[in-house]
Amino acid sequence: MKVTRTVLLILFVLAMRAKLSAQFRPPPAFDIDITGYWTPPLHEDGLERGNGPEIADYGGFALNEAGRLFALSYDPSRLTLRYHQCDGYIMPYQMRAVGNFRTWEERDPHTQQLIALHWWAQTTEGNRTIYMDGRAHPPAWAPHSFTGFSTGHFVGNSLVINTTHLKQGWLRRNGSPESDQATVTEFVTRHGDHLTDTTVITDPVYLTEPEVRSNDYVRQPGDHHVWLYACDDGEEITGRAPDVVPNYLFGKQPFAKEYSEKYKLPLIATLGGAETLYPGWAAKAKSATQAEALAKLQPAPNQPAETSKAINPEPHDGEIHVLHIRDNVYMLLGDGGNIVVQTGDEGAFLVDSGEGKLSDKVIAAIRRISQRPIQFIANTSFHADHIGGNAKLAAAGSDPSLPGSFFDLQSPGAATGLLFDPAHHATIMAQNNVVFRMEAAKMSSEMVPADTYLEERRRKFQNGELVELFYEPNAITDGDSIVHFRRSDVIAVGDIFTTTQYPFIDLKNGGSVQGEIKALDDILSRTGYEHDENGGTYIVPGHGYLSDEHEVTEYRDMVVIVRDRVQAMMKAGATLDQIKAARVTADYDTRYGANSGPWTTAMFIEAVYNSLKQPPAKLSAEK
Amino acid sequence: MRFFALSCASSILILAASTSLFAQGRGGRGGPPPTPQAAARIDITGYWVSLVTEDWRYRQFTPPKGDYESVPINPAGKKVADAWDPAKDEAAGEQCKAYGAAGLMRMPTHLHITWQDDRTLKLETDAGTQTRIFHFGPAQGAGGDWQGVSSATWDYPEPEVRTGFGGIDFGFELPPAPGGSLKVVTTKMKPGYLRKNGVPYGAGTVMTEYFDRYDIPGGDTLLLVTSEVNDPEYLTNPFWTSTHFKKQDDASGWNPTPCLSR
Repeated sequence: MKVTRTVLLILFVLAMRAKLSAQFRPPPAFDIDITGYWTPPLHEDGLERGNGPEIADYGGFALNEAGRLFALSYDPSRLTLRYHQCDGYIMPYQMRAVGNFRTWEERDPHTQQLIALHWWAQTTEGNRTIYMDGRAHPPAWAPHSFTGFSTGHFVGNSLVINTTHLKQGWLRRNGSPESDQATVTEFVTRHGDHLTDTTVITDPVYLTEPEVRSNDYVRQPGDHHVWLYACDDGEEITGRAPDVVPNYLFGKQPFAKEYSEKYKLPLIATLGGAETLYPGWAAKAKSATQAEALAKLQPAPNQPAETSKAINPEPHDGEIHVLHIRDNVYMLLGDGGNIVVQTGDEGAFLVDSGEGKLSDKVIAAIRRISQRPIQFIANTSFHADHIGGNAKLAAAGSDPSLPGSFFDLQSPGAATGLLFDPAHHATIMAQNNVVFRMEAAKMSSEMVPADTYLEERRRKFQNGELVELFYEPNAITDGDSIVHFRRSDVIAVGDIFTTTQYPFIDLKNGGSVQGEIKALDDILSRTGYEHDENGGTYIVPGHGYLSDEHEVTEYRDMVVIVRDRVQAMMKAGATLDQIKAARVTADYDTRYGANSGPWTTAMFIEAVYNSLKQPPAKLSAEK
Repeated sequence: MRFFALSCASSILILAASTSLFAQGRGGRGGPPPTPQAAARIDITGYWVSLVTEDWRYRQFTPPKGDYESVPINPAGKKVADAWDPAKDEAAGEQCKAYGAAGLMRMPTHLHITWQDDRTLKLETDAGTQTRIFHFGPAQGAGGDWQGVSSATWDYPEPEVRTGFGGIDFGFELPPAPGGSLKVVTTKMKPGYLRKNGVPYGAGTVMTEYFDRYDIPGGDTLLLVTSEVNDPEYLTNPFWTSTHFKKQDDASGWNPTPCLSR
């Protein structure tokens, strides 16, 4: 009897083992534990990571000409500008920063599967999320951030991380740039209490080859309780004009030789480039002439302008793509300029209508997100890629506020020719000059806005929030509006700001570089960031990816800096051809440049030149 | 009651025995263990070239005397560094003081790594024309030269986690990780320089290195050498660096040069 019981017990244990074996599956691969508290020993590049780098110290960076010129043009006083004071650190720099780090896991509470690793950096409160659940990266038109979007997986004894959607920032705190097109692959390996994060930065805009750096961390026994790094911007220099961006003209960087002279290095050695990474560079640099070095301080003459190396973030697959921005506001892409749709209990409020080639699909996409018909369409300008869908989209909507109204009675599709049975037609809104421009261009009356305003702003309370149109005179054209959804805190700005090209300053239709800069500053005066120039107010560009104030700030800086260069050359008596030959946009061409198509670099420079030569009357009077 | 306790104990023993035997069965018993060369899960052989992206000024050029920024150097070390005299080193035939094992990998250099035999890796540099020998197993040689004595092991990510329920193994085996590291511990080095400008390390220095290989987008391969230098004579703390090299298809650029003291 006792024997039987023993046998039964053994059988029970074995059965349990089999049952539990079936329940507890091993993980798909070995993983390493990187959670805990980590501190970088700073035994490499300690000076630059701590106190800060020297100016014009670019050795070891595979900067291309654009990257080197961007760095040389950079004036550290730029950080006194309100919109740069709280710039966060882009992820590759964050991982190299001084300060402590904390990492922890996020697991699904029901399955215990690893969802993400979180990596908090003391400096600038850099807060990384590394998704480990196999999700895809967001589309190219999704917002960028300082930490980017990271996914990871374990390979061997390493955690491999891929990061995209980074903001523009610096590789080093002396202006050595990293563009918003950079992507990063990391290998995190742990040996005992020593963690090494090897970052491989690929940047088609500013680097000729991937930049490899490795950051070491030593495990700490516990929490040091100091994690916050609050930053609020303020007034550092009062009375400065809003269109001032500290920068050095090409060839005028006063400290370009300081670093090389201080350490008795050949000037050419310190100016970066792939050759500075490799053995033998010291000997080559010593044999270079001073003239060769000095030539690197400005754009190489008689070279064709570079073209953009950026990935076009706009879809061109013949489909309309919908990106939820915030609350009840969406961005539609795929048919020319970006379209914004605000939905709610009333009719949908649109900003722009695209090129009009895919209007049926735009209407179908709007019907998927809005229970109500399109009621309003606000046009940011009269350019074809923003108003091309006006007629079809308006015809697909209705404005119930109009039937029986004064406007309906006075002009039922006759007197002005602008209203077409309002019960079955959305109302198109714009600054009044849009109407003039469209009529001058003999556009179909069905496309022309019926509801216009003349100065400053037009207000509308729609779908539970205030929607404001602000007039931006003489920016891209003489009829530009930006549209601010106040509660959602989304601003649609049309082609005043894009992430795809130099600003399309349409001089013959009233645009100007002065108005463009003022408009960009106006946008910035209405934005706020959530944390360290990241998030907060969303900006929908006329073309390109969903942005925030950091992208607008960098774009504003670029326009101001190019204006400064053109202006300086004009003051020195240069002709337009001489200005073009001087390649005054050389540090931005790999990001925005084009030598063909509807808007080239040469056309942009010409627009800047001509607006400076003959400033728009209205803006001149204001000044 | 006593019999029941015995039954429980024997059940657990049976369970443990079955687990143990199961685990042994998976372990591939029988036959000699593979040689280190055959057991290699990563291949670090071939030609590599330094990517000098960190401590650039200190590595591409000889820094000025007394510039020991970033090194956790103690007062005794500073004293030695402040007295650096390259002419004196040359006169003493010690131009290679910065090319010893603890400084060599930071030089801008090409590497050529080969299996000397199935238990020994050979690492050659063209900078200073140096050779390091990594022997798997007990350290061999008396040392006392620039490169000292290096003992190598494969550092594989053998999981220590249990896949079962508490202390009970249910017989699962984690799939073997494809990667791993080469671990090299170097001792008995002739005193030399961490940097070319005379930042010293002493005879009692122990250096632990990990060699990791990463395949990066675009088809390139990196070799990362993570190094911990422990020197009770001249350092206040372990000196951590991580140095990277890019794989080359061939010996292009290989240019053996003599040691230079300045």
